[in-house]
Amino acid sequence: MIHIQNVSHTFTIGKKGSEKKIPVLKNISFEVAKGEIISIVGKSGSGKSTLLNAVAGFLKPEEGSIIIQGKETTTLTESEYAIFRSENIGFIFQNFQLMPGLTAFENIELPLKIQGIDKHRRFEIVNKIIRKVGLETVFDHYPNELSGGQQQRVCIARALITNPPIILADEPTGNLDSETEQEILQLIALLNESMDITFIIITHDEEVANIAHRKFLMHDGVLKEVVQHAV
Amino acid sequence: MLFRDQIDFVRQHVKRNRMRVFTTILATTMGCAFLIVLASIAFGLQESLKNDILSDSAVTKIEVYGNDEKGIDQKAVKAIPNVQALVETTQFNEPLTANVKLENRSGSGEMVFTNFKEQQKAKIKLSAGTYPTKADEIIVGYNLGQNLLTKKEEQSAKEEGKKEEKNNKGYQHSLLGKTISLSFTLENEEEHTKVRQYKIVGIGEKPSKEWAMDTSIQISDAMKSNILNDYNGIVDKKVQEKDFYNVSYNAYATDMEAVKGVLKKLKAMNLSVYSVTEQLDQLNVFFLALKVGLIFVGTIAVLIASIGIFNTMTMAVTERTREIGVMKAIGAGPKLIQRLFIMESAYIGVLGTVIAIIISYIISFLANLALPKILDAVISDGGIEEAGIRFSTIPWELVVIASLISIGVAVLSGWRPARKATKIDVIQALHQE
Repeated sequence: MIHIQNVSHTFTIGKKGSEKKIPVLKNISFEVAKGEIISIVGKSGSGKSTLLNAVAGFLKPEEGSIIIQGKETTTLTESEYAIFRSENIGFIFQNFQLMPGLTAFENIELPLKIQGIDKHRRFEIVNKIIRKVGLETVFDHYPNELSGGQQQRVCIARALITNPPIILADEPTGNLDSETEQEILQLIALLNESMDITFIIITHDEEVANIAHRKFLMHDGVLKEVVQHAV
Repeated sequence: MLFRDQIDFVRQHVKRNRMRVFTTILATTMGCAFLIVLASIAFGLQESLKNDILSDSAVTKIEVYGNDEKGIDQKAVKAIPNVQALVETTQFNEPLTANVKLENRSGSGEMVFTNFKEQQKAKIKLSAGTYPTKADEIIVGYNLGQNLLTKKEEQSAKEEGKKEEKNNKGYQHSLLGKTISLSFTLENEEEHTKVRQYKIVGIGEKPSKEWAMDTSIQISDAMKSNILNDYNGIVDKKVQEKDFYNVSYNAYATDMEAVKGVLKKLKAMNLSVYSVTEQLDQLNVFFLALKVGLIFVGTIAVLIASIGIFNTMTMAVTERTREIGVMKAIGAGPKLIQRLFIMESAYIGVLGTVIAIIISYIISFLANLALPKILDAVISDGGIEEAGIRFSTIPWELVVIASLISIGVAVLSGWRPARKATKIDVIQALHQE
């Protein structure tokens, strides 16, 4: 499903003439199987978000290969990656990243609009997913009228709406209280089980990391598998 | 993304920034309306002048003059393709005067000999009646009746001194079917030609200009030799026929498009020609230059408005950086992002242009209504309102040109901000608050 081989990347900081190169990803290799949940834990600045951005295609690594669904993604153009992303990858963000001017329903249907799906079909698909994530009572609310948990459910529903085989989650419970965190983790586990979706979760929360089948530790740009979980 | 969804998307964002978008649309409207109204002055004046020229004579009419004493070869002229008629007209000069008598009224008119068959072929219109078929049937000018006064009316007109002809009431009934007596005198009115009777079977068209008077008496050229004999009886023998009348020729083309070709052929025959279309051509060149100049000046106003669009769109991109990042993250390609922003600036351009067109038509209407009245009030001997001068005309061509400029400039103004939006880095955008 996902093959990452020898991926390295450096950031350049400082003014021209006195630039400094900081390696953020150092020769990273790992594989993720279909339907697997993996978590990547690490301190701030360890490079875990950079790795996620490289998998998402927001950043082109200087070296290495990232093969997703059998396709080498590091050579894709921005337009090609946009299409690839809309068909294969969903995102769950720490701060939800919802459009403030759109209702929950409209936020969820946005990826379908981008794909050019007609209104009637969108209506059917969105209603189905709204029931699945439990947003039946608040689908017409704007983001500022929703609780943190509800906003994250909208974000998850938006990630699921195009039925992608992979979901990338960056600190999915980072802005939630512990009770809501549990609800979201249960939802992720349920979706993984019922829809066979592959999850890559970035977190520094051990409890979140523990729902994964495999756990990785990121330290100074180096990735190591630390624990094998049986779920 | 479906086109309808793209429109919805644009409208949602326009709604969210209502005030800013409104002021930008207002600036676009003002720029575009300025362009249209300014250029409409050239269109209006051109139309007024064109109508003025065309009202004088038929567009298909070509005046033909021979360059030597032999005159023109009528057969050769008629043989030119697209010449449908050649009308020879003989007009009598001073000091000979045509005296007309009808019942107890008398007056004068300008007498001309013409070929009615050729006139009919040339499709010269009459206001009433038909073309003569007999030698003693005639057509008279629309205003001849006004020249026919009783002795009493003539006396009171003389007493009032310089009373204008236009104010004469004269014969109030239709002249159609009436028989008039016609004779000629010299200036001293001592000698009269033989009095001949003619039946009026047609009345010429009303002159297009309010002040113009048509008191012509058109007689078939079959009568020409008889009347010339009458003349010769009273004029000095030393005076030759050609001294008291002149002959003119008017060729008529089949349609306006054929005029140019006929003119070319006539010039090739070494004939002098004049057509109103030649005058129109010169007029069109002048007004084309004027219109281009005015549209250019108007475009500057649109360009100034475009700074507003550029500003609005740049702010929109900056404010929506996070949203653009999210859109990209969930699958929107750079082309879609660019299209959405260009559509937004085009939306401003289209809305501004539509409002500008409506406002321009209102301004044009009001200008044509009020300006003649104002100018007539300011200028003592104005007569502008009566002359029917249009100060502003907005033809569809002007609307199309102004729309293309206005919407084109709006799209170009949004181009750079839209490009900027496509280059937004998703990682940085998602970190924005």
